[in-house]
Amino acid sequence: MSYRFFKRKLHRGSILVCVVFFTGSSLFSQVLTNQQKEREDIFVARIKQFNEFADRFNLKTDFNGNTADSVFKARMPRERMIPLLFDLKDPRIQIPGKEYSEAYIRIKEEFVEEVTKKNILLYKYSPGIISEARVRVIYKGEPQQIRLFLVQEIVGNNSVKWVLRSAKGDILNIFKTDTSMVRFIPPSSNETDFINLKRALEDTDYLQYYASQDYEPDFLTLFFYYIKAGIIKYEYVEEVVYHIIDIPGWYLRVKEFNRNELNSGWLITDVMKNELDLAAFIRNL
Amino acid sequence: MLKKILITGVILSLSMWVTGQETKTAVTSKQAKITDEINLSDADIEVFKEQTKQKVEEFQQYIVTLGNKDEPAEKRNMAEKEALKLFYKGAEMEISTILPNGSVQKVNRPMEKYLARLKSLPYTKVIIKFYDIAYIREFTKGPDGKYYSTATIIQEFTGFSDDDIIYTDITKKEVEIIIDIVEDTFFKEKRWKIFLGDIKAAETKSSVS
Repeated sequence: MSYRFFKRKLHRGSILVCVVFFTGSSLFSQVLTNQQKEREDIFVARIKQFNEFADRFNLKTDFNGNTADSVFKARMPRERMIPLLFDLKDPRIQIPGKEYSEAYIRIKEEFVEEVTKKNILLYKYSPGIISEARVRVIYKGEPQQIRLFLVQEIVGNNSVKWVLRSAKGDILNIFKTDTSMVRFIPPSSNETDFINLKRALEDTDYLQYYASQDYEPDFLTLFFYYIKAGIIKYEYVEEVVYHIIDIPGWYLRVKEFNRNELNSGWLITDVMKNELDLAAFIRNL
Repeated sequence: MLKKILITGVILSLSMWVTGQETKTAVTSKQAKITDEINLSDADIEVFKEQTKQKVEEFQQYIVTLGNKDEPAEKRNMAEKEALKLFYKGAEMEISTILPNGSVQKVNRPMEKYLARLKSLPYTKVIIKFYDIAYIREFTKGPDGKYYSTATIIQEFTGFSDDDIIYTDITKKEVEIIIDIVEDTFFKEKRWKIFLGDIKAAETKSSVS
Protein backbone atom coordinates (compact mmCIF):
# COMPACT_ATOMS: atom_id res chain seq x y z
CA MET A 1 0.00 0.00 0.00
CA SER A 2 1.58 3.22 -1.12
CA TYR A 3 1.86 6.18 1.23
CA ARG A 4 -0.30 8.28 -1.10
CA PHE A 5 -3.06 5.60 -1.10
CA PHE A 6 -2.88 5.31 2.67
CA LYS A 7 -3.03 9.08 3.04
CA ARG A 8 -6.04 9.26 0.70
CA LYS A 9 -7.74 6.42 2.61
CA LEU A 10 -7.03 8.13 5.92
CA HIS A 11 -8.28 11.43 4.56
CA ARG A 12 -11.52 9.79 3.32
CA GLY A 13 -11.91 8.04 6.68
CA SER A 14 -11.44 11.30 8.56
CA ILE A 15 -14.00 12.99 6.37
CA LEU A 16 -16.42 10.12 6.95
CA VAL A 17 -15.86 10.24 10.75
CA CYS A 18 -16.27 14.00 10.70
CA VAL A 19 -19.44 13.76 8.58
CA VAL A 20 -20.90 11.07 10.87
CA PHE A 21 -19.88 13.01 13.99
CA PHE A 22 -21.21 16.35 12.86
CA THR A 23 -24.38 14.87 11.39
CA GLY A 24 -24.93 12.86 14.56
CA SER A 25 -24.12 15.83 16.75
CA SER A 26 -26.42 18.14 14.83
CA LEU A 27 -29.13 15.46 14.85
CA PHE A 28 -28.69 15.08 18.61
CA SER A 29 -28.85 18.81 19.19
CA GLN A 30 -31.80 18.96 16.78
CA VAL A 31 -33.61 16.34 18.90
CA LEU A 32 -32.81 18.33 22.07
CA THR A 33 -33.97 21.57 20.47
CA ASN A 34 -37.18 19.89 19.29
CA GLN A 35 -37.83 18.52 22.77
CA GLN A 36 -37.25 21.95 24.29
CA LYS A 37 -39.48 23.52 21.63
CA GLU A 38 -42.21 20.95 22.33
CA ARG A 39 -42.02 21.64 26.07
CA GLU A 40 -42.18 25.37 25.46
CA ASP A 41 -45.20 24.90 23.17
CA ILE A 42 -46.90 22.93 25.94
CA PHE A 43 -46.10 25.72 28.40
CA VAL A 44 -47.63 28.31 26.06
CA ALA A 45 -50.77 26.22 25.43
CA ARG A 46 -51.15 25.27 29.09
CA ILE A 47 -53.71 27.32 31.06
CA LYS A 48 -51.18 28.35 33.66
CA GLN A 49 -53.31 30.32 36.09
CA PHE A 50 -57.02 30.62 36.85
CA ASN A 51 -56.73 34.23 35.67
CA GLU A 52 -55.59 32.94 32.27
CA PHE A 53 -58.56 30.55 32.21
CA ALA A 54 -60.92 33.52 32.64
CA ASP A 55 -59.07 35.55 29.96
CA ARG A 56 -59.22 32.69 27.43
CA PHE A 57 -62.87 32.04 28.28
CA ASN A 58 -63.64 35.68 27.50
CA LEU A 59 -61.26 35.64 24.49
CA LYS A 60 -59.46 38.57 26.05
CA THR A 61 -55.98 37.19 25.45
CA ASP A 62 -54.23 34.93 22.96
CA PHE A 63 -52.15 31.87 23.94
CA ASN A 64 -49.16 34.09 24.77
CA GLY A 65 -51.16 36.18 27.20
CA ASN A 66 -51.24 39.20 24.86
CA THR A 67 -54.49 41.06 24.18
CA ALA A 68 -56.37 39.08 21.52
CA ASP A 69 -56.40 41.04 18.25
CA SER A 70 -58.93 40.78 15.42
CA VAL A 71 -56.73 38.29 13.50
CA PHE A 72 -56.55 35.96 16.51
CA LYS A 73 -60.27 36.36 17.19
CA ALA A 74 -61.08 35.47 13.58
CA ARG A 75 -58.85 32.39 13.69
CA MET A 76 -59.90 31.31 17.16
CA PRO A 77 -63.47 32.49 17.87
CA ARG A 78 -65.02 31.69 21.25
CA GLU A 79 -66.91 28.68 19.85
CA ARG A 80 -63.50 27.13 19.09
CA MET A 81 -61.69 28.44 22.16
CA ILE A 82 -64.17 27.41 24.88
CA PRO A 83 -64.22 23.67 23.93
CA LEU A 84 -60.40 23.73 24.35
CA LEU A 85 -60.87 24.81 27.97
CA PHE A 86 -62.44 21.44 28.80
CA ASP A 87 -60.50 18.40 30.03
CA LEU A 88 -60.22 16.47 26.76
CA LYS A 89 -59.36 13.27 28.65
CA ASP A 90 -62.72 13.22 30.42
CA PRO A 91 -63.90 9.58 30.17
CA ARG A 92 -67.41 10.84 29.39
CA ILE A 93 -66.27 12.08 25.97
CA GLN A 94 -64.07 9.10 25.00
CA ILE A 95 -65.41 6.87 22.21
CA PRO A 96 -65.48 3.93 22.81
CA GLY A 97 -65.59 4.01 26.57
CA LYS A 98 -67.60 2.60 29.44
CA GLU A 99 -68.30 6.07 30.80
CA TYR A 100 -69.07 7.67 27.43
CA SER A 101 -72.09 9.93 27.85
CA GLU A 102 -73.99 11.49 25.01
CA ALA A 103 -76.04 13.45 27.55
CA TYR A 104 -72.85 15.13 28.85
CA ILE A 105 -71.67 15.92 25.32
CA ARG A 106 -75.04 17.49 24.55
CA ILE A 107 -74.96 19.63 27.70
CA LYS A 108 -71.42 20.74 26.89
CA GLU A 109 -72.48 21.76 23.39
CA GLU A 110 -75.55 23.55 24.74
CA PHE A 111 -73.37 25.47 27.20
CA VAL A 112 -70.86 26.53 24.52
CA GLU A 113 -73.64 27.56 22.18
CA GLU A 114 -75.47 29.65 24.80
CA VAL A 115 -72.33 31.37 26.09
CA THR A 116 -71.05 32.24 22.62
CA LYS A 117 -74.39 33.24 21.06
CA LYS A 118 -75.33 35.47 23.98
CA ASN A 119 -71.72 36.58 24.38
CA ILE A 120 -71.74 35.81 28.12
CA LEU A 121 -68.44 36.68 29.76
CA LEU A 122 -66.96 35.43 33.01
CA TYR A 123 -66.39 38.20 35.54
CA LYS A 124 -63.19 37.17 37.28
CA TYR A 125 -63.94 39.01 40.52
CA SER A 126 -67.47 37.62 40.73
CA PRO A 127 -68.75 36.33 44.08
CA GLY A 128 -70.04 33.47 41.94
CA ILE A 129 -66.51 32.08 41.72
CA ILE A 130 -66.02 29.80 44.70
CA SER A 131 -62.55 28.52 45.37
CA GLU A 132 -62.46 25.28 47.30
CA ALA A 133 -59.14 24.76 49.09
CA ARG A 134 -58.70 21.20 50.36
CA VAL A 135 -56.44 21.71 53.32
CA ARG A 136 -54.47 19.22 55.35
CA VAL A 137 -54.74 19.55 59.10
CA ILE A 138 -53.46 17.44 61.97
CA TYR A 139 -56.20 16.32 64.37
CA LYS A 140 -55.34 14.08 67.33
CA GLY A 141 -51.98 13.34 65.69
CA GLU A 142 -53.54 12.16 62.42
CA PRO A 143 -53.71 14.02 59.07
CA GLN A 144 -57.26 15.00 58.10
CA GLN A 145 -58.76 17.02 55.26
CA ILE A 146 -60.98 20.07 55.62
CA ARG A 147 -62.57 21.85 52.68
CA LEU A 148 -62.44 25.62 52.96
CA PHE A 149 -64.60 27.67 50.59
CA LEU A 150 -63.29 31.10 49.65
CA VAL A 151 -64.92 33.86 47.61
CA GLN A 152 -63.70 37.28 46.46
CA GLU A 153 -64.87 40.50 48.06
CA ILE A 154 -64.47 43.93 46.53
CA VAL A 155 -63.59 46.47 49.19
CA GLY A 156 -62.94 50.19 49.33
CA ASN A 157 -61.34 51.75 46.31
CA ASN A 158 -61.73 48.82 43.88
CA SER A 159 -59.46 46.52 45.78
CA VAL A 160 -60.08 42.82 46.02
CA LYS A 161 -59.49 40.14 48.62
CA TRP A 162 -60.36 36.49 49.12
CA VAL A 163 -62.46 35.73 52.19
CA LEU A 164 -63.40 32.49 53.93
CA ARG A 165 -67.04 31.75 53.39
CA SER A 166 -67.55 28.23 54.72
CA ALA A 167 -65.81 25.09 55.94
CA LYS A 168 -66.62 21.40 55.69
CA GLY A 169 -65.00 18.20 56.87
CA ASP A 170 -65.63 15.00 58.78
CA ILE A 171 -63.97 16.36 61.92
CA LEU A 172 -66.32 19.36 61.85
CA ASN A 173 -69.38 17.12 61.87
CA ILE A 174 -69.78 17.05 65.62
CA PHE A 175 -73.40 15.94 65.57
CA LYS A 176 -74.86 12.48 64.99
CA THR A 177 -78.18 11.75 63.37
CA ASP A 178 -80.86 9.79 65.18
CA THR A 179 -84.46 9.83 64.04
CA SER A 180 -85.60 6.96 66.29
CA MET A 181 -86.03 9.19 69.31
CA VAL A 182 -87.80 12.47 69.87
CA ARG A 183 -85.58 14.94 71.70
CA PHE A 184 -86.93 18.16 73.15
CA ILE A 185 -87.09 20.43 76.16
CA PRO A 186 -90.61 20.01 77.58
CA PRO A 187 -93.16 22.86 77.31
CA SER A 188 -93.39 23.49 81.05
CA SER A 189 -89.61 23.55 81.64
CA ASN A 190 -89.67 27.31 82.05
CA GLU A 191 -91.62 26.90 85.29
CA THR A 192 -88.81 24.79 86.77
CA ASP A 193 -86.15 27.22 85.58
CA PHE A 194 -85.22 24.72 82.86
CA ILE A 195 -84.00 21.92 85.10
CA ASN A 196 -84.30 19.75 81.93
CA LEU A 197 -81.54 21.75 80.28
CA LYS A 198 -78.95 19.69 82.18
CA ARG A 199 -80.39 16.48 80.75
CA ALA A 200 -80.47 17.94 77.24
CA LEU A 201 -76.89 19.21 77.34
CA GLU A 202 -75.61 15.87 78.55
CA ASP A 203 -76.97 14.32 75.35
CA THR A 204 -73.78 15.62 73.67
CA ASP A 205 -73.95 13.82 70.31
CA TYR A 206 -77.44 15.09 69.51
CA LEU A 207 -77.48 18.68 70.74
CA GLN A 208 -78.80 19.96 67.40
CA TYR A 209 -82.20 18.40 68.12
CA TYR A 210 -82.63 20.79 71.05
CA ALA A 211 -82.07 23.82 68.79
CA SER A 212 -84.70 25.70 66.78
CA GLN A 213 -86.03 24.47 63.43
CA ASP A 214 -84.00 27.01 61.44
CA TYR A 215 -80.74 26.25 63.30
CA GLU A 216 -77.81 25.69 60.93
CA PRO A 217 -74.43 24.77 62.39
CA ASP A 218 -71.72 27.28 61.41
CA PHE A 219 -68.80 25.04 60.56
CA LEU A 220 -66.51 27.97 59.75
CA THR A 221 -66.83 29.25 63.33
CA LEU A 222 -66.17 25.73 64.54
CA PHE A 223 -63.07 25.56 62.32
CA PHE A 224 -61.83 28.91 63.73
CA TYR A 225 -62.41 27.62 67.25
CA TYR A 226 -60.52 24.37 66.55
CA ILE A 227 -57.57 26.36 65.19
CA LYS A 228 -57.62 28.88 68.05
CA ALA A 229 -57.92 26.20 70.73
CA GLY A 230 -55.12 24.15 69.12
CA ILE A 231 -57.47 21.19 68.53
CA ILE A 232 -56.30 21.09 64.92
CA LYS A 233 -53.00 22.26 63.43
CA TYR A 234 -53.10 23.68 59.92
CA GLU A 235 -50.50 22.24 57.52
CA TYR A 236 -51.05 23.23 53.86
CA VAL A 237 -53.43 23.33 50.89
CA GLU A 238 -53.43 19.99 49.11
CA GLU A 239 -55.56 20.99 46.14
CA VAL A 240 -57.69 23.85 44.83
CA VAL A 241 -60.88 23.41 42.81
CA TYR A 242 -63.04 26.26 41.45
CA HIS A 243 -66.83 26.13 41.36
CA ILE A 244 -68.25 28.77 39.03
CA ILE A 245 -71.91 29.82 39.22
CA ASP A 246 -71.30 33.28 37.75
CA ILE A 247 -72.82 32.34 34.39
CA PRO A 248 -76.62 32.48 34.83
CA GLY A 249 -78.20 29.02 34.80
CA TRP A 250 -74.88 27.16 34.68
CA TYR A 251 -72.28 25.53 36.92
CA LEU A 252 -68.67 24.90 35.94
CA ARG A 253 -66.06 22.96 37.88
CA VAL A 254 -62.45 23.87 37.10
CA LYS A 255 -59.33 22.12 38.40
CA GLU A 256 -55.66 21.95 37.49
CA PHE A 257 -54.25 19.09 35.42
CA ASN A 258 -50.51 18.94 35.90
CA ARG A 259 -49.47 16.99 32.80
CA ASN A 260 -47.04 17.52 29.93
CA GLU A 261 -49.65 17.89 27.24
CA LEU A 262 -51.17 20.75 25.28
CA ASN A 263 -54.51 20.16 27.05
CA SER A 264 -53.23 20.89 30.58
CA GLY A 265 -53.45 23.40 33.40
CA TRP A 266 -56.76 24.81 34.66
CA LEU A 267 -59.50 22.98 32.75
CA ILE A 268 -63.26 22.49 33.01
CA THR A 269 -63.98 19.07 34.48
CA ASP A 270 -67.73 19.41 34.72
CA VAL A 271 -70.58 21.51 33.38
CA MET A 272 -74.21 21.27 34.45
CA LYS A 273 -77.30 23.40 34.81
CA ASN A 274 -77.70 25.28 38.09
CA GLU A 275 -80.41 27.42 39.62
CA LEU A 276 -79.04 27.66 43.18
CA ASP A 277 -77.80 30.91 44.69
CA LEU A 278 -74.39 31.17 46.37
CA ALA A 279 -75.50 30.22 49.90
CA ALA A 280 -77.59 27.27 48.78
CA PHE A 281 -74.89 26.17 46.36
CA ILE A 282 -72.16 26.10 49.03
CA ARG A 283 -74.50 24.24 51.38
CA ASN A 284 -74.90 21.56 48.71
CA LEU A 285 -71.21 21.20 47.88
CA MET B 1 -42.31 49.21 92.99
CA LEU B 2 -40.17 46.33 91.74
CA LYS B 3 -43.36 44.32 91.18
CA LYS B 4 -44.82 47.15 89.07
CA ILE B 5 -41.68 47.39 86.92
CA LEU B 6 -41.70 43.63 86.43
CA ILE B 7 -45.38 43.57 85.40
CA THR B 8 -44.83 46.50 82.97
CA GLY B 9 -41.82 44.67 81.51
CA VAL B 10 -43.79 41.47 81.01
CA ILE B 11 -46.69 43.37 79.34
CA LEU B 12 -44.26 45.25 77.07
CA SER B 13 -42.42 42.13 75.97
CA LEU B 14 -45.73 40.32 75.43
CA SER B 15 -47.07 43.12 73.22
CA MET B 16 -43.79 43.16 71.26
CA TRP B 17 -44.06 39.39 70.80
CA VAL B 18 -47.65 39.69 69.60
CA THR B 19 -46.62 42.44 67.10
CA GLY B 20 -43.85 40.19 65.83
CA GLN B 21 -46.36 37.39 65.25
CA GLU B 22 -48.45 39.48 62.81
CA THR B 23 -49.15 37.79 59.52
CA LYS B 24 -47.52 39.03 56.31
CA THR B 25 -50.85 40.23 54.94
CA ALA B 26 -51.89 42.13 58.07
CA VAL B 27 -51.11 45.85 57.99
CA THR B 28 -52.00 48.71 60.27
CA SER B 29 -55.22 50.42 59.21
CA LYS B 30 -53.40 53.78 59.07
CA GLN B 31 -50.80 52.44 56.63
CA ALA B 32 -53.51 50.75 54.51
CA LYS B 33 -55.51 53.99 54.33
CA ILE B 34 -52.52 56.01 53.11
CA THR B 35 -51.56 53.54 50.38
CA ASP B 36 -55.20 52.97 49.38
CA GLU B 37 -55.53 56.62 48.45
CA ILE B 38 -52.70 56.35 45.92
CA ASN B 39 -53.62 54.58 42.72
CA LEU B 40 -51.53 53.40 39.81
CA SER B 41 -52.79 54.30 36.36
CA ASP B 42 -53.29 51.60 33.71
CA ALA B 43 -50.20 52.92 31.91
CA ASP B 44 -48.17 52.63 35.13
CA ILE B 45 -49.35 49.06 35.57
CA GLU B 46 -48.25 48.19 32.01
CA VAL B 47 -44.79 49.56 32.82
CA PHE B 48 -44.73 47.50 36.01
CA LYS B 49 -45.70 44.39 34.05
CA GLU B 50 -42.61 44.90 31.88
CA GLN B 51 -40.47 45.51 34.96
CA THR B 52 -41.89 42.34 36.53
CA LYS B 53 -40.56 40.36 33.56
CA GLN B 54 -37.11 41.85 34.16
CA LYS B 55 -37.32 41.14 37.89
CA VAL B 56 -38.31 37.52 37.27
CA GLU B 57 -35.46 37.14 34.74
CA GLU B 58 -33.06 38.63 37.27
CA PHE B 59 -34.21 36.08 39.86
CA GLN B 60 -33.82 33.25 37.32
CA GLN B 61 -30.29 34.39 36.51
CA TYR B 62 -29.35 34.41 40.21
CA ILE B 63 -30.76 30.87 40.59
CA VAL B 64 -28.68 29.67 37.61
CA THR B 65 -25.51 31.22 39.09
CA LEU B 66 -26.28 29.97 42.58
CA GLY B 67 -26.75 26.39 41.46
CA ASN B 68 -23.75 26.35 39.11
CA LYS B 69 -20.89 24.65 40.97
CA ASP B 70 -18.39 25.82 38.31
CA GLU B 71 -18.87 29.42 39.39
CA PRO B 72 -16.55 30.80 42.08
CA ALA B 73 -17.94 30.69 45.64
CA GLU B 74 -17.83 34.50 45.90
CA LYS B 75 -20.02 34.93 42.83
CA ARG B 76 -22.49 32.33 44.11
CA ASN B 77 -22.64 33.95 47.55
CA MET B 78 -23.24 37.31 45.90
CA ALA B 79 -26.04 35.79 43.76
CA GLU B 80 -27.65 34.42 46.94
CA LYS B 81 -27.48 37.81 48.63
CA GLU B 82 -28.78 39.72 45.59
CA ALA B 83 -31.58 37.18 44.99
CA LEU B 84 -32.81 37.69 48.56
CA LYS B 85 -33.01 41.44 48.00
CA LEU B 86 -35.67 40.84 45.34
CA PHE B 87 -38.05 39.35 47.89
CA TYR B 88 -40.56 40.74 50.28
CA LYS B 89 -39.61 40.12 53.89
CA GLY B 90 -40.96 36.79 55.09
CA ALA B 91 -41.36 35.26 51.61
CA GLU B 92 -41.53 31.47 51.58
CA MET B 93 -40.94 28.72 49.07
CA GLU B 94 -43.49 25.90 49.03
CA ILE B 95 -42.32 22.76 47.28
CA SER B 96 -44.79 20.01 46.49
CA THR B 97 -43.75 16.46 45.73
CA ILE B 98 -45.99 13.74 44.37
CA LEU B 99 -45.47 10.60 46.47
CA PRO B 100 -45.50 7.09 44.92
CA ASN B 101 -49.03 6.56 46.29
CA GLY B 102 -50.20 9.62 44.33
CA SER B 103 -50.66 11.89 47.34
CA VAL B 104 -48.98 15.28 47.45
CA GLN B 105 -46.57 16.32 50.16
CA LYS B 106 -45.69 19.96 50.62
CA VAL B 107 -42.78 21.56 52.45
CA ASN B 108 -42.52 25.27 53.23
CA ARG B 109 -39.17 26.97 53.73
CA PRO B 110 -38.20 30.59 54.28
CA MET B 111 -36.61 31.93 51.07
CA GLU B 112 -33.23 32.34 52.84
CA LYS B 113 -33.16 28.63 53.67
CA TYR B 114 -34.32 27.59 50.21
CA LEU B 115 -31.54 29.58 48.51
CA ALA B 116 -28.91 28.34 50.98
CA ARG B 117 -29.97 24.73 50.32
CA LEU B 118 -29.87 25.27 46.56
CA LYS B 119 -26.27 26.43 46.91
CA SER B 120 -25.18 23.30 48.74
CA LEU B 121 -26.96 20.51 46.87
CA PRO B 122 -25.09 17.18 46.96
CA TYR B 123 -24.32 17.05 43.23
CA THR B 124 -20.95 17.51 41.55
CA LYS B 125 -22.61 19.59 38.82
CA VAL B 126 -25.98 21.28 38.55
CA ILE B 127 -27.61 22.72 35.43
CA ILE B 128 -30.67 24.91 35.87
CA LYS B 129 -32.50 26.24 32.82
CA PHE B 130 -35.54 28.46 32.56
CA TYR B 131 -37.84 28.89 29.58
CA ASP B 132 -37.65 32.29 27.92
CA ILE B 133 -41.38 32.71 28.34
CA ALA B 134 -43.24 33.64 31.50
CA TYR B 135 -46.91 34.26 32.10
CA ILE B 136 -47.75 37.29 34.25
CA ARG B 137 -51.32 37.92 35.31
CA GLU B 138 -52.74 41.42 35.56
CA PHE B 139 -52.14 43.39 38.76
CA THR B 140 -55.03 43.62 41.22
CA LYS B 141 -55.16 46.06 44.09
CA GLY B 142 -55.37 44.62 47.59
CA PRO B 143 -57.11 46.25 50.59
CA ASP B 144 -53.67 47.34 51.86
CA GLY B 145 -53.18 49.54 48.77
CA LYS B 146 -50.47 47.32 47.29
CA TYR B 147 -50.83 45.71 43.87
CA TYR B 148 -50.64 41.95 43.48
CA SER B 149 -49.91 39.64 40.57
CA THR B 150 -48.49 36.17 39.91
CA ALA B 151 -45.88 35.08 37.38
CA THR B 152 -45.64 31.48 36.15
CA ILE B 153 -42.22 30.20 35.08
CA ILE B 154 -40.81 26.79 34.20
CA GLN B 155 -37.49 25.50 35.53
CA GLU B 156 -35.54 22.49 34.29
CA PHE B 157 -33.14 21.06 36.85
CA THR B 158 -30.42 18.46 36.23
CA GLY B 159 -28.12 17.17 38.97
CA PHE B 160 -24.95 15.25 38.03
CA SER B 161 -22.59 12.96 39.88
CA ASP B 162 -19.43 13.30 37.79
CA ASP B 163 -20.81 12.90 34.25
CA ASP B 164 -23.90 10.90 35.17
CA ILE B 165 -27.30 12.52 35.50
CA ILE B 166 -28.62 11.34 38.88
CA TYR B 167 -31.59 13.66 39.22
CA THR B 168 -33.69 15.64 36.79
CA ASP B 169 -37.03 17.40 37.04
CA ILE B 170 -39.18 20.09 35.45
CA THR B 171 -40.98 22.33 37.90
CA LYS B 172 -43.62 24.96 37.39
CA LYS B 173 -43.19 27.90 39.70
CA GLU B 174 -45.85 30.43 40.63
CA VAL B 175 -44.17 33.57 41.90
CA GLU B 176 -46.20 36.14 43.82
CA ILE B 177 -45.48 39.71 42.69
CA ILE B 178 -46.12 42.72 44.93
CA ILE B 179 -45.87 46.42 44.06
CA ASP B 180 -45.40 48.41 47.23
CA ILE B 181 -44.47 51.97 48.17
CA VAL B 182 -40.97 52.29 49.58
CA GLU B 183 -39.03 55.27 50.84
CA ASP B 184 -35.96 56.09 48.82
CA THR B 185 -33.53 57.22 51.52
CA PHE B 186 -31.13 58.77 48.97
CA PHE B 187 -33.68 60.98 47.18
CA LYS B 188 -35.87 61.21 50.29
CA GLU B 189 -39.01 60.38 48.35
CA LYS B 190 -41.56 57.60 48.20
CA ARG B 191 -41.83 55.44 45.11
CA TRP B 192 -43.42 52.19 43.94
CA LYS B 193 -41.19 49.14 43.90
CA ILE B 194 -41.65 45.56 42.70
CA PHE B 195 -40.96 42.71 45.09
CA LEU B 196 -41.17 38.97 44.67
CA GLY B 197 -43.26 37.18 47.29
CA ASP B 198 -44.07 33.55 48.10
CA ILE B 199 -43.27 30.92 45.49
CA LYS B 200 -45.23 27.73 44.89
CA ALA B 201 -43.20 25.07 43.11
CA ALA B 202 -44.79 21.93 41.68
CA GLU B 203 -43.20 19.19 39.62
CA THR B 204 -44.94 18.69 36.27
CA LYS B 205 -45.84 15.10 35.45
CA SER B 206 -46.28 13.43 32.09
CA SER B 207 -49.03 11.21 33.46
CA VAL B 208 -52.61 12.26 34.05
CA SER B 209 -53.00 13.92 37.43
